[in-house]
Amino acid sequence: MNKQTKVWLVLSIALSLLALGSACGGGGTTTNSPSSGGDATAAAAPYSGPTGTISGVVTFNGTPPAPKKIDTTADAACAKANPNLVTDDTMVKDGKLQNVFVYIKDGTVEGGKKIGDYQWSTPTTAVQLDQKGCHYAPHVLGLQTNQKLSITNSDQTQHNIHPTPKLNQEWNQTQANGAPPIEKTFTRAETLIPVKCNQHPWMKAYIGVLKTPFFKVSGEDGSYTIQGVPPGKYTVVAWREGGANGTEKTMEVTVPASGAAKADFAFGEGATTSNKPSLQMMPALELPAIGKH
Amino acid sequence: MGVSRDPENTDRSEFLMNKGLNRFAILVACATFFLIIAGALVTSNDAGLATPDWPTSNGLLFPEMVGNLFWEHGHRMVATTVGLLTIGLAVYVRFKEKRMWIWKLSFFALLTVIAQGLLGALTVKMMLPLGVSAAHGTLAQLFFCTTVSLAVFTSRSWMEARVLPEEKGMPPLRWLCTTALVTIFLQLILGATLRHSATWDHHLPVHLVLAHVGGAFAVTLALGGAAVSVLRRHKGETFLTRPATIALVLLVVQLFLGVAAYLTRLASPNEPQPLNPMISITVAHVACGALVFATTIVLTLRTFRVLPASEAAMEMAARPQES
Repeated sequence: MNKQTKVWLVLSIALSLLALGSACGGGGTTTNSPSSGGDATAAAAPYSGPTGTISGVVTFNGTPPAPKKIDTTADAACAKANPNLVTDDTMVKDGKLQNVFVYIKDGTVEGGKKIGDYQWSTPTTAVQLDQKGCHYAPHVLGLQTNQKLSITNSDQTQHNIHPTPKLNQEWNQTQANGAPPIEKTFTRAETLIPVKCNQHPWMKAYIGVLKTPFFKVSGEDGSYTIQGVPPGKYTVVAWREGGANGTEKTMEVTVPASGAAKADFAFGEGATTSNKPSLQMMPALELPAIGKH
Repeated sequence: MGVSRDPENTDRSEFLMNKGLNRFAILVACATFFLIIAGALVTSNDAGLATPDWPTSNGLLFPEMVGNLFWEHGHRMVATTVGLLTIGLAVYVRFKEKRMWIWKLSFFALLTVIAQGLLGALTVKMMLPLGVSAAHGTLAQLFFCTTVSLAVFTSRSWMEARVLPEEKGMPPLRWLCTTALVTIFLQLILGATLRHSATWDHHLPVHLVLAHVGGAFAVTLALGGAAVSVLRRHKGETFLTRPATIALVLLVVQLFLGVAAYLTRLASPNEPQPLNPMISITVAHVACGALVFATTIVLTLRTFRVLPASEAAMEMAARPQES
């Protein structure tokens, strides 16, 4: 092989190997910052004492993005049941934001014990998730670890339910129309688990799983109230979908004995609450004015 | 055909050539190309897990093809057809082909398509782990390479082609084309990994995008260099210049498709569902990549068929093996 050949070969293969090498190295971070995963602590005592509430209103500053039309024609049953289906990722009414998952992430109860060190009983009632009009209802929901999630299909077509957790077991199950409810539980705390239907890719829901009962999803008027909170100092997080893995706002809240604490959150333009995007993937290369709405 | 024939080779081609077998091999290669498109549609529509079971879909051999099940089950049906065609080809070769190595190659194709089916099953059962999905996408290209090679080896032009007296210029075209082929295959592995690294509603990982862009430069350099060298050195030898010209044209189209696919993919996470033009452009990019690969396979095989080995290679072949 002469010199020219060698140069040619080395140049081509070096470029390929460089490309492969950069693919193998420097992967995206996979930390799950908003989660407070972990199994229930053994021999934890239940809390008994005075309780208060944390309540507030979630607002959206600026003009919310207009809902986008969803094309459901891939499945005639969906097109018939919900011909005007639109996105519901930013539901704003009079400046108030719906579907925000607000929860106590961490904190210390008066007396110095961590809130997660107490034992919080699991409710016996199941949380409902329905598939109606080829759409998940509710869109955002919360439940405690080991609490039952009951999934129903009210549509005239089949769906498959596919949660994609990072800490819990992933599963994917088909539910035909008329099939009995599917009941599942999540054993580890995780906020928030995306749920999708691989047959109808526009269908999305988010499930927050916590060891404690201290969470709420903001209603149509943007309000929420977390009840039964022991007095203490807490980190309260408001999570809403958007971006790769949602966006969080964090606030330090003190709950007085048998009293009420207030924690209002704001999203959108110029929102001032401590803001931490919970991105877990590396952001894409973005060119100016491309891929933005 | 530019490459002249001699009576000896013509006699040999009449002895070896089986028109029916060659047509069947071309059919299998075309069906494989269609299967690659069907697979790309599954990925772009995020339909890989539209059914959690395998080989049946929701417990049925012929389910109602609604929603994304249309793409996933459709892909399985095309794959089954290609599998059956590959069995048919192996049997056909066994009875009609006199060259034993062709029979071995067709048997290798059969093993590859079986492995590919099993990888497909694993992707569903393991819920699309990146390594398995990327391996499924890569093995598809390797299988395509085998079917294209079979179509080339059984063709009349392959048997009729006469070895040219000398290699015109350096570096040798055998080396250039092989380098291009290997570079393209590495780029296809990167492409398959990139495709399966994030669904339509998530941004693609930056390091993989950059790697794939780097791979595109490498392919442009390697294939562009090889094809231009063929065109310059063997003007008029259509046996070589035709695949070289097609490869160059496809390479240019592929580069434009790559840029377009990236731009449409950037916007995709903001959409409520996988939409056109993202789906069609990305699938076209995958399909064109397969065509670039296929054309380079043809070009490389033909250079090996008609061009003499370099002196260095001859010397290496003549050297006694050291124990």
